[in-house]
Amino acid sequence: MANLWQKLTQHDGNGWWNLPHGPSNELNPPFEGPIGGAWFGNLWRTLTHGNVSHAGVGFYWLVGFVLAIITLVEVWLFTVEGLGAWFIPLLLFLSLAKFVGVVAYFMHLRFDNRMFTYFFASAMIIGILIFSILLVLMKHASQPVLF
Amino acid sequence: MTTKSLTMPQLFPRPKSSTGIWSWIGTVDHKRIGTLYGIVSFIWFIVGGIEALLIRTQLASAENDLIDPETFNQLFTMHGTTMVFLVIMPLSAAFFNWLIPLQIGARDVAFPRLNALSFWIFLFGSLIINASWITGNAPNGGWFGYAPNSGTTFNPGMGMTYWVVGLNVLGVASIAAGLNFIVTILNMRAPGMGMFKIPIFTWMTLITSVLIVLAMPVLAVAGIQLMSDRVYGTHFFNSLGGGDPVMWQHIFWLFGHPEVYILILPAMGIVSEVLPTFARKPLFGYPFVVFAGAAIAFMGWFVWSHHMFTVGLGPAANTAFSISTMLIAVPTGVKIFNWLGTLWGGNIRLNTPMLFSISFIAMFTIGGLSGVMHASPPTDAQQQDTYFVVAHFHYVLVGGALLGIFSGIYFWWPKFTGYFLNEKLGIANWALMMIGFNLQFAPMHWLGMDGMPRRIYTYADNMGWESSNLAASIGGFILALGILVFMINVFYSKMNKVMAGNDPWDGRTLEWATTSPPPVHDFDEIPQVKYRDDFWFQKYPETIAEYHHDDHDQAVPSGAQFDDGDDVQEALPVVSGSSDGHGDGHSAIHLPDMSYYPFILSLGVAGLGAGFLTNNTVIAVGAVVLVWGLIGWAMEPVNDPE
Amino acid sequence: MTQAAATEHHEPVENTSTGLNSRKLMMWAFLASDVMFFGVFIATYLVYRGKSLVGPYPSEILDIPLTSVSTFVLLMSSLAMVLALHYVKAGEKNKGTLWILLVVVLGAIFMGFQFYEFREFAHEGLTPRTNIFGTTFFILTGIHGAHVTIGVIWMAFLAYGSHVGSLRSDNSLDLEIAGLYWHFVDIVWIVIFTVIYLISFSDGPPAGVGPTILH
Repeated sequence: MANLWQKLTQHDGNGWWNLPHGPSNELNPPFEGPIGGAWFGNLWRTLTHGNVSHAGVGFYWLVGFVLAIITLVEVWLFTVEGLGAWFIPLLLFLSLAKFVGVVAYFMHLRFDNRMFTYFFASAMIIGILIFSILLVLMKHASQPVLF
Repeated sequence: MTTKSLTMPQLFPRPKSSTGIWSWIGTVDHKRIGTLYGIVSFIWFIVGGIEALLIRTQLASAENDLIDPETFNQLFTMHGTTMVFLVIMPLSAAFFNWLIPLQIGARDVAFPRLNALSFWIFLFGSLIINASWITGNAPNGGWFGYAPNSGTTFNPGMGMTYWVVGLNVLGVASIAAGLNFIVTILNMRAPGMGMFKIPIFTWMTLITSVLIVLAMPVLAVAGIQLMSDRVYGTHFFNSLGGGDPVMWQHIFWLFGHPEVYILILPAMGIVSEVLPTFARKPLFGYPFVVFAGAAIAFMGWFVWSHHMFTVGLGPAANTAFSISTMLIAVPTGVKIFNWLGTLWGGNIRLNTPMLFSISFIAMFTIGGLSGVMHASPPTDAQQQDTYFVVAHFHYVLVGGALLGIFSGIYFWWPKFTGYFLNEKLGIANWALMMIGFNLQFAPMHWLGMDGMPRRIYTYADNMGWESSNLAASIGGFILALGILVFMINVFYSKMNKVMAGNDPWDGRTLEWATTSPPPVHDFDEIPQVKYRDDFWFQKYPETIAEYHHDDHDQAVPSGAQFDDGDDVQEALPVVSGSSDGHGDGHSAIHLPDMSYYPFILSLGVAGLGAGFLTNNTVIAVGAVVLVWGLIGWAMEPVNDPE
Repeated sequence: MTQAAATEHHEPVENTSTGLNSRKLMMWAFLASDVMFFGVFIATYLVYRGKSLVGPYPSEILDIPLTSVSTFVLLMSSLAMVLALHYVKAGEKNKGTLWILLVVVLGAIFMGFQFYEFREFAHEGLTPRTNIFGTTFFILTGIHGAHVTIGVIWMAFLAYGSHVGSLRSDNSLDLEIAGLYWHFVDIVWIVIFTVIYLISFSDGPPAGVGPTILH
């Protein structure tokens, strides 16, 4: 577990920051599981009978099931009283989980070439940064002197 | 693809002829599309220039009443909009189209039909914006269309609606072109051409394209919001309904500042090609120029509020944006020093392209420095909305982007046409432009410091602004004379052709390896690339040792396994995405066939846009044409079976 | 592991400099563009959240159970999408067609929910012109609905193509690219559902500004 981070962020020890050079030396991890690591990949293969680089039917059903559960939890949270300040962060976290689930597994980004991740992530990063700044600026727009 | 069994009666036979008007309407050739971009945007350049001359004539003397205030508002709005969206962006696009496939050793862009679509949508978008002149009600809210002045309350005419609709149509064209060039540059490079061996103009195109793809949607949203405010009465920028006009400023400048770099980065790329060629040295610090460009593109997102220092965002916000604005001057300065380093010790030839490029460095530095002055909020508070700002951005956009583009025109004209532009007329063109430009815009600095506001149609005669304004107006006409000399030069050079040959300037990059003008398929054989500036080292293999110390194999590239240390890539047998360009002669080269569907599809987009200006019937017609174009496009095979 | 093992499970390598398919690369670049597009709309919604001067306010009008169902429908359409792609890739034509059709149906149901919701809101007096909530809500969800509509039409064409056999495992990339678009529309809705429906549900009149202040 100590190197879980490494497994999550790296493709088979091949750093995320190495751009693919060409088809011959492109390394997509054929035995890597949904969150990295060969042992996990083999486990998934056993469980889902899927080709690992294209996860199998069972895997997709499982992801879909998890996403549905998260949606249910969100709606349930909505009815829970007394969450107070935790309500919005919790919802944002659950939505983020759904977002990542769809992007990583349904859109196949977890198993696909890193170039696609760069495209999508660069827009997400720039977007989140500038729109967060925009929200802060506009939140204080009515009392600028205090800010 | 899906066409194999889904065949559909062809509503139009494909254009087959390579001459005549239909061959231009159906063309998917990147060189022809580049030419179309160039011609159309140059026509708009003349239109925008005439608008500028009218403005300068009106301001030449105090209390002049040649032009009434309303027309004056329309003139400066349309001048700004035209020059930004219809001139500098598409002129850059003309260079992208012409040069990118040539520079990376490809036979066309990745999506030739999409490329044609971009041009046609651009054409119709520009026509929509300028159609407002015919209705007598041109946009009058400034090129930034600040709310609430652009809303129906203060601006009940149709002018600003034309403006938002036109900009949205243009945005579609820009995004399509941006996507196309990103994919082209990443995917269509010649074998062996790693990302750090592509020419610097190609790098700047890639960065510009990324900016276009990410920034134009922001303008699209601003346009949709303003349009729905104007057409459907929503409240985005209407404070009576809970909206906030400041949001328009934020959204517009969120787009607007990356847009500034969209305008200037291609010119920087052009200059970075011209300087090494005429100094006969490689570009000094290529990776630095690349990373400086990327850094500018990233940091350009975080400086937008420096356009809004006087809005009252508060000291914390102003300080933050002041710092980020000053920081973005650093990568820009890096580039300037790299250009100077390129010139240093070079064997310099002062041909017309070089004169324009050197002038670019000087003028752009002046414009950049006055920009750094604005980065300080207290200073900016004095300069906001004065002629000082006008002087600043004209030094950046005319002295920067436009001089760079003219440099590129003189530089690549032999490649585009096969013959030179006349050198003497070229130098006259350059001299007139430089004199006129500085005479016009330098006095605006002190006019602005003296407090003359922008966007006023006249001024009192006791302000002491008359002589400077007169000088600026004279400068404007001298600048126009320079442009006139350029047009004369184009015709003169066409009449008295001085043939250039394939490589007239002793160039460094791949476009000089093919004939001038290039054949339809660009390259008879797809080149194999081993080095940055590969064509130079093919011509002068003895200089390889000087620049590639670690490379002991000094033979001309053989096209086999390369061992250049920094960016190893195996040679691919084929490059062109849509062809099987094995080198067995011309017969094996498959180019995408011509198609009318880009034109039809763009007619549909234009119809949708025009519908928002007229009525729902036109929207419906536009939608039908759009769907027809889409289906026809999807069903039509890229190449007819033979 | 060896190169051979690595490429064994892979799709045919494209003849491009990066080895990636150009159309797929362009779709991802387009999605990056669309991220910014929806980003501005969502940011606009958040900036104007709780700034409505007159009702109906979100707390009076949003129907969470209804939207939860439609959210679930869209999420399941994404699941149907990956399964469709899986079967088309595996060459199981009938299953593939069926799952693509399910995507179409679920997408259409989602559109139906949205149409119903828009009508209900209009009946209860909320239009884009009513207040800033109406403005931001209708334009954002409307633009998203337009994306869904385009996706449904696209999927319908692909379902037909799969039925007549022109969409096969060797050109399943057509479906994969359409699928990327479809999933993207889904994740946008995930964000919209959270920020508009769940987070804003309790939004009433802005603090200190009662509805009585106008007129």
